[in-house]
Amino acid sequence: MPVTLRYPFTELEAPPEYRGLPHIDPKLCIGCGACVNACPPDAILRIDDYDRGTRKIVLDIGRCIRCARCEEVCPTGAIRLTNLFEAASPDRRDHIEVVELRLVRCKVCGNYTDFTERQVKKALQILPKEILEEEALEEKVFICRNCRRKGTVDATINATKEVVL
Amino acid sequence: MSAKPKLRSVWVFHLNTGACNGCDIEILDILTPFYDAERLGVKLVGSPRHAHAMLVTGPLTRQCYHGAKKAIKAMPPKPRIIVVIGTCACSGGIFYNGYPIYRRPESGREGCEYPRRGGIIELIEDLRDEGEYVGPVIYIPGCPPRPEEILYGIAQLLGLVEKKLEGEHYTEEVGFELPEAPINERIRLTLREKLRHVVGYFDRDKILEDFMELVKKAEESEKPKEELKKLIDEYNAKIRDVRISFCMRLLENEYWRVRDALSAGKEFVYWV
Ligand code: SF4
Ligand code: SF4
Ligand code: SF4
Repeated sequence: MPVTLRYPFTELEAPPEYRGLPHIDPKLCIGCGACVNACPPDAILRIDDYDRGTRKIVLDIGRCIRCARCEEVCPTGAIRLTNLFEAASPDRRDHIEVVELRLVRCKVCGNYTDFTERQVKKALQILPKEILEEEALEEKVFICRNCRRKGTVDATINATKEVVL
Repeated sequence: MSAKPKLRSVWVFHLNTGACNGCDIEILDILTPFYDAERLGVKLVGSPRHAHAMLVTGPLTRQCYHGAKKAIKAMPPKPRIIVVIGTCACSGGIFYNGYPIYRRPESGREGCEYPRRGGIIELIEDLRDEGEYVGPVIYIPGCPPRPEEILYGIAQLLGLVEKKLEGEHYTEEVGFELPEAPINERIRLTLREKLRHVVGYFDRDKILEDFMELVKKAEESEKPKEELKKLIDEYNAKIRDVRISFCMRLLENEYWRVRDALSAGKEFVYWV
């Protein structure tokens, strides 16, 4: 009985628990960067472009060691390890997946902030509705760090003035 | 590979440039009768002088650099194919920023370039700068790649199969989905984090999904606490797996802890 696998001439599926190529589902990814922080060999990158107002999450399968730490930390389940394994290619650019998301524009100064619109939507989903009012949130969420800090400092200075006078 | 070379039987030489041996063992695997790369005409030879192709593994350490250079230069001037096996050789892999890894000065170590740099490509570019001919390169990522994956790469080199992967670029146009879980999203994430302490990534979402189904049923009843306990007992009796039963009990405790705190109006509930 021949034992040899007929493989390259037939289709073959890896077992379901096989840790194969990771893939980001662009519909689910919110661009939070949790996977970027978790990835041991830096196979995932977060590249912010504040001029164009985009954030790129770049996954390079050619650097990935299939450890599934990204899948473990992803809050939305966007990145998953598939059981595909046929990644061989003569061109390294075939190993790249880019998900490009829009950043939030600050309501006060008009610059781009360092979080994406999808991140805000996800955060609003998590926040308990009973504790915070919707309208107050709408005003505060879409403001960049600098403007928020400035707002706090201004408020403090005004408050101090009132006390001094 | 612009013009696909017509290859019949490739003789290969195996070169380790500092690999952890994982990839090398997979290369041994494809020579066993089960995978049998020799039926594709691949033959392992003992000297680079006889080889058409070099099977390279490893992240290219400084120690190996000159040896590897000599070995590639010793190959016949054509076709000098490089079969890059493993994530390490493709891009430096898990060792990419280690101190003994060779990098061309302009490659950088902490950059945001992509495709990621590192591995044997650094040596190939050095050789090309010196005017040496280096033939087609095929990358087979994986840590280590399955033997099937290596076979697939070699078959692709020989022109037997086509490549399946393409670079992908998505923008906002694909649309956004924010799936709603049957329970409060905040509680769900807390439970998910808790579960991470006891089960691996693979079973976690399945267990949590089952648990949320039970919670949904229990919350509809009059006395959710007793009902959930009963439902979980039934579930455990059916599944008959102590590991999953343990997870269910853990989730039950955690669920009531977080939910009671939230309903009592506490704004911060510690995660773990
Ligand atoms: S599986 Fe591991 S190495 Fe690969 S992208 Fe995810 S975290 Fe990074
Ligand atoms: S952790 Fe998930 S949601 Fe966050 S950037 Fe990575 S893939 Fe996207
Ligand atoms: S790719 Fe992984 S298995 Fe292969 S040599 Fe590198 S660390 Fe070892």
